[in-house]
Amino acid sequence: MAMTSLVVAQREDDVAEALTIARQVGEPHILVFGQVDPSPLLDYGHPVHHLRSDDTESLFLALRSLYESLKPSIILAPTTKNLKDVLSRVAGLYDLPLATEVYDVKVSGSSASYRRGFLSGRAIALEEAPLPAVLLLAPRKTPRAPKGGAKGTLETVQPPSPTVKVLERRPKERGGVNIEAAELIVSVGRGFRSKEDLKMAFELAEVLGAQVGCSRPIAADLKWLSEDHWVGLSGHKVAPKLYIAIGISGAPQHLAGITDAKLVVAINNDKSAPIFKNCDYGVVADLYQFVPVLTKRLKERLAK
Amino acid sequence: MLKPALNPETIRGTPEGLVDFDYMSLKLSDIDRNAVEEAVRLRDAYFKGSKIYSITVAAWGPVDKRDKDVKMAVQEGLAKGVDEAFIVEDDSLTPGDPVTTASAIVAVIRKFNLKPDLVLAGEATIDGFTGQVAGRVAAKLGLPYVSFARKLDVKDGRIVAERDVEDYVEVVEAPIPAVVSVTREINVPRPPTLIQIRMASRKPQHVIKASDLEGVVKPKKKLVEARVLAVKRKQTIIEGKTLEETADKLIDALVAEGVIRVR
Repeated sequence: MAMTSLVVAQREDDVAEALTIARQVGEPHILVFGQVDPSPLLDYGHPVHHLRSDDTESLFLALRSLYESLKPSIILAPTTKNLKDVLSRVAGLYDLPLATEVYDVKVSGSSASYRRGFLSGRAIALEEAPLPAVLLLAPRKTPRAPKGGAKGTLETVQPPSPTVKVLERRPKERGGVNIEAAELIVSVGRGFRSKEDLKMAFELAEVLGAQVGCSRPIAADLKWLSEDHWVGLSGHKVAPKLYIAIGISGAPQHLAGITDAKLVVAINNDKSAPIFKNCDYGVVADLYQFVPVLTKRLKERLAK
Repeated sequence: MLKPALNPETIRGTPEGLVDFDYMSLKLSDIDRNAVEEAVRLRDAYFKGSKIYSITVAAWGPVDKRDKDVKMAVQEGLAKGVDEAFIVEDDSLTPGDPVTTASAIVAVIRKFNLKPDLVLAGEATIDGFTGQVAGRVAAKLGLPYVSFARKLDVKDGRIVAERDVEDYVEVVEAPIPAVVSVTREINVPRPPTLIQIRMASRKPQHVIKASDLEGVVKPKKKLVEARVLAVKRKQTIIEGKTLEETADKLIDALVAEGVIRVR
């Protein structure tokens, strides 16, 4: 029997990235899920299976039956929480190796190698897994596969009803930022004594045309800002050309989120804070005194 | 499920820039503390009189060298409220792989005939951060799985959980028994009291070899190389006689770097 591969995703860009690797392994099948229009995916020339539900239990049941019928040599998907949930179960059921946030994937014969962040972002691991394997890709690190070939077929999948019931879904509160795409970021941490004081950082951000980010306590514990501002391992990984960390001590989980920043500036009154070992330019000062002065000088000097 | 994980803060590179594993120590993975705390809270609220077991599979070897750290991590769980601990330690299972860990956990549950109402784990561990062992265990046991729970309760013999995913919060209801992975936000772990710490060493601990278990799958993934991520930062401290002067020097530096432009 010819080798097959399986791509699981919700969005076309994720499908196209996964297909780049899937096509090297075997005849790809695509499982797309949720209330999306699957027809654009037919242009890639592979069979498309569409599951209308998008709860994890239904997705797991659909994947399990697809796995049984296709016996794919590789399953590829983007790294999202729901796909981690679902694919860890599929991997568990069939004792398949699984890795998340992978990039630089190379397939040769009966194994796949890839790189991924390791030790809370402090190291990069090169791993090798025998096929069949499950790989969840780090987004936007793999080139997209081109469309082509005869139009693929479309089949709707209908798994049995799930035992875990979704009672409610609430969209997360959004501050209207897309911190991952920001070019300039002013980021705030526990050095701020109250929510009102964050105004200083927002003023600085406005002068610079920057987005406002924050460390974990500000979003997760104090909830002064919504989670889309959260920079770090459990928050968002950012890659701006300038990152200004104000009142952020520099916990490893936070530093893991800013490794791709081109230039890091730290403002903190504690000169022993770890952030000073992980910044390009540091100012040891009371942020309450320094930030307004910096904002004022920038206002006077910046080119319009 | 408690994992003694490599402590990322003890990272050091070899002269070649590789991770010096021998130098690193293990500690109980942070989010596993939240899992224990939640187990204690749920037991006290809904499962009075039930026991809390912990299962640990030592993923980092060699056993001789790591034994002390592994026992410390397990001890921490016992001090926080675990009643009885199972530890799988075997050089043939290190360096571990989630395939191995999950199959060993399931093998322990079967061998000792544990019949858990709930199996709790942290959403991921601080070393690998793949967050897959709980899902694997659920599938192997044929139990429902609720991942990334940031709130958990029991109502009419079923669990109700708030799942924290990227764009939304999802409230789900699942039958018991079930496997649940929790996030850091679910609770604030209390440090154990002195009495709890002293009591911990008297609680039962079982050390188990791979040969005592059935169905343990040998590691599949191979760690070819782990390189310390060297982000070279300049670490230049900017000082001035006045705050204005410091601000101006900082602005000059940013202009020289080409990240902002001035008039």
